[in-house]
Amino acid sequence: MIMTIVNLIILLFVPFLMLGLIKKTKSFWAGRKGPSIFQPLYDFIRLIKKDFVISKTTSVVFNIAPVFAISTVLFAAMFVPLATGSAIISIPVGVIVFSYTLGLGKFMSIVAAMDTGSSFEGMGASREACFTSIVEPAFFILIASVMLLTGNYTFDSLSHIISNAGSYGILITIFAVVVLFIMILTEGSRVPVDDPATHLELTMIHEVMILDNSGSDLAIYSWANGIKMLLISSLIACMVIPHHLPVLMHVLCYLSVLGIVSIAIGTVESGMARIRMSHVFEFIFVMSSLALVVLSLVMARMFGG
Amino acid sequence: MNNYFIGIITLLLSGFVANIFSKKLKTVILSLLVSVGSVFCAIPAVKVLFGHENLVANFDFNTIFGNVSFVIDPLSAFFILVITVMSLLSVIYSNGYLKPYLDLKNISSHLVFLPMLIASMLAVVTCQNALMFLICWEIMSLSSFFLVIFESNKKDVLKAGIKYLVFMHISVLFIIIAFALMSIKSGSFEFETFKAVLQNNTSFANIVFILAFIGFGTKAGFVPFHNWLPDAHPAAPSHVSGIMSGVMIKTGIYGIIRMITLIGIPSKEIAYGFLAISVVSSLYGVLYAITQHDLKRLLAYHSIENIGIVGIGLGVGMLGLTYHNPLVALLGFTGGILHVLNHSIFKELLFLSAGSVYIKTHTKDIEILGGLIKSMPVTAILFLIGSVAICGLPPFNGFISEFLIYFGMFKGLEIHHFLSILLIFFAISGLALVGTMAILCFSKAFSIMFLGMPRSENAQNVTTDSSKVMLIPMGILAIFTLLIGIYPQYVVFWVKRVVFDMFSENIVNFCQVCMIPLNIMQTIALYAVLFVGFVTLMIFLKLKLTKGKIVMHDTWGCGYNRANNHMQYTASSFASPFLSMLRPLFKKVFDIEKPKKLFPVAAHFHLHIEDIEEAYVLNPLLKFDEWFLSKFEAMQSGNIQSYIKYGMVFLLVVIIASLFIG
Repeated sequence: MIMTIVNLIILLFVPFLMLGLIKKTKSFWAGRKGPSIFQPLYDFIRLIKKDFVISKTTSVVFNIAPVFAISTVLFAAMFVPLATGSAIISIPVGVIVFSYTLGLGKFMSIVAAMDTGSSFEGMGASREACFTSIVEPAFFILIASVMLLTGNYTFDSLSHIISNAGSYGILITIFAVVVLFIMILTEGSRVPVDDPATHLELTMIHEVMILDNSGSDLAIYSWANGIKMLLISSLIACMVIPHHLPVLMHVLCYLSVLGIVSIAIGTVESGMARIRMSHVFEFIFVMSSLALVVLSLVMARMFGG
Repeated sequence: MNNYFIGIITLLLSGFVANIFSKKLKTVILSLLVSVGSVFCAIPAVKVLFGHENLVANFDFNTIFGNVSFVIDPLSAFFILVITVMSLLSVIYSNGYLKPYLDLKNISSHLVFLPMLIASMLAVVTCQNALMFLICWEIMSLSSFFLVIFESNKKDVLKAGIKYLVFMHISVLFIIIAFALMSIKSGSFEFETFKAVLQNNTSFANIVFILAFIGFGTKAGFVPFHNWLPDAHPAAPSHVSGIMSGVMIKTGIYGIIRMITLIGIPSKEIAYGFLAISVVSSLYGVLYAITQHDLKRLLAYHSIENIGIVGIGLGVGMLGLTYHNPLVALLGFTGGILHVLNHSIFKELLFLSAGSVYIKTHTKDIEILGGLIKSMPVTAILFLIGSVAICGLPPFNGFISEFLIYFGMFKGLEIHHFLSILLIFFAISGLALVGTMAILCFSKAFSIMFLGMPRSENAQNVTTDSSKVMLIPMGILAIFTLLIGIYPQYVVFWVKRVVFDMFSENIVNFCQVCMIPLNIMQTIALYAVLFVGFVTLMIFLKLKLTKGKIVMHDTWGCGYNRANNHMQYTASSFASPFLSMLRPLFKKVFDIEKPKKLFPVAAHFHLHIEDIEEAYVLNPLLKFDEWFLSKFEAMQSGNIQSYIKYGMVFLLVVIIASLFIG
């Protein structure tokens, strides 16, 4: 029970800290002091208190979509091993429920963006739908390869890679971490796929989809986005943290992995510009090809004598 | 079993009886009679599914057919329930849909063929005699052909109908060859006797299965035999498209499943090939669905996709059979057969909603719709539920079957064969891609049709939602999708029983793995119930708490505040980033008229995407056919004497040939 509460608190509050840490890292590279690491949390509280402005064109779909955005990430989180190293629901191929639940949230947010009748938001929605469709198969190939290697069909299999495959396992882990990192950049709409700080609507993806949202709707969308990033980072944590550590140790390791991921995201954002929209595909396809590399490593280990 | 025949006869007669009555009463009487017939047919099916004995009826036509037996086993019972429930809902819906068409002269024949189609489908799934099966199959194809050409005064409807007729006859040809081969070997027309012939001879079984797959696969709509589907479904009235896509193409799946039970253990090549074709079908279907802007064509392509998903399930099951892995077989077949049910529910829901939109706006082109959620809220919400369900998203029914299929595939990785692992990876990533592309396609279709601002007069002039008699069947279907999504364990239990009955003799240890899918379904059920409860609570809270805090204003136009309905994103532009990525897979036909002169007046741009198979395979074949047949034009003299001469020559050739060969 205590573990669940710890997990829940981390799930709900750490996303803000991750976003804050990313901003802090970016400020560091830019030579600025930057806002406090708690700034996203303050923003959230400020936005929650505000009233809304809603477009006349919208319907009930627009109104209820934020509910889906937050509930899908929270329910998907049940399948992911969080801070204490174990998931609330651990069933075989929970990964399917995980990503299809996230898919529902995505569907609703796309539809809500289209509800405003704005061509900017349509543009963002169309790009979001398009990029997701390449991310998902790569993610499934990665997870299935790991499951093939470990013979375990829950998310726990991620933590068994190294114990199962030794030095091969380290190689596989490296590639898998890169795949998941690209997935964070895409799903969390970070540079180089999307630039959350840009002010030009034509080049945005996720930000432009919520252009017409204000007040608590806007707060919930950015919170849900943060939680989604945390969930995928948890998968990375699951892979790199040895799986029989004491609980307290595990929580500390987990938090530091999240910190490292945030710093890495901030560093990537400072180091490179957003890719031209027509070339984003190529960047995301890197993810698919690396997932295939993982598959071939696993196959080589199994059949290569 | 007597109930069953009473039901079928009631259905066959109901069309004729309904036509006696006055124009207004016709459809009402028809739906009454069809419901009576459906209930009579469904009772024995329910009995079989819950009881433990198959129902059998034998008729002896000793001269031609031999012994004709009609058997209701759990597999047939499952299909009977799908056919009766789905068709009945469609027929009730037709009360509202046919209202504007009651003066058409085709209406009487339409009302005769509609129940005849249902009756023939019911006969097809129970008949165990090859010859009788073919007769019922042919009645089914012909009656559905007459239903497709309901609006036969339109040229493209007639064209689509004839295309359908041709495809169906090519398909039945292959089925006839397969059945003929089997009955020559076994010396009888009975399916039971085919078993012995097929199970002893693997190469013979392979050949027969391939032939039967081409035949049944054409009906079901597997790529590359799918081409009739996207033409026939839009041409037919919506309730007929609902029956055809939701139920009739499933008889093709039934045929394939029946073939698998006859073969017993399929060979490796068959299982691999079938799985690969299914993955390709589902990808192909959804890919072309994204390109379509005619709502019913889009849905027809999605039928191809879903038939592919059913096929993936069956293919995984076949892999399990081939490699004697009971859990993989169980999961694959359960997922595939459950998807048959699920697809018929949400696809029919979507087709009926499409009809509801068509009746009000008189167009199937989604590019000129928009904003319909304000005038047709019930249809919009039902279409949204159908869209979420067809994308396989929780907590709706599509998710349950896709989950089982995925589970089967992941478990299939335990089969340690290089090729099978690669194939399963292809299938896993294919199914994931199909899922996300379906999200793209249906978020497009739903949002362009129902959200935003109306894009034309057609959409603007709609004031009310469709009549209740149309909305209630749709509502029932929507409730089904949710119920199966949150209480999957019961449905999975029945389907598991069907699978168990089919394969228990072929697989050892089947009993030991039986409970695994059910246990997982219990967890998923709990999850889904919690999810639905949580979301409902949150929506309630949100609407309650935000009351009075909302200010209405124009959509943010980045400083421009005269945005109008023509500045909205269109379906083409929504799909364009994705399609530009997959450019080589399409044949694009542009129709551009550029603005000319100093003061340009008219200009237009039209992009049409052709089915690659039609453009590069079928059309050249047809061209060749035309060229080849034109060589025989000289024979067509119009002279009766020469026609008699041809007959004489033919007879002579036959007699002489039979002397030498016989």
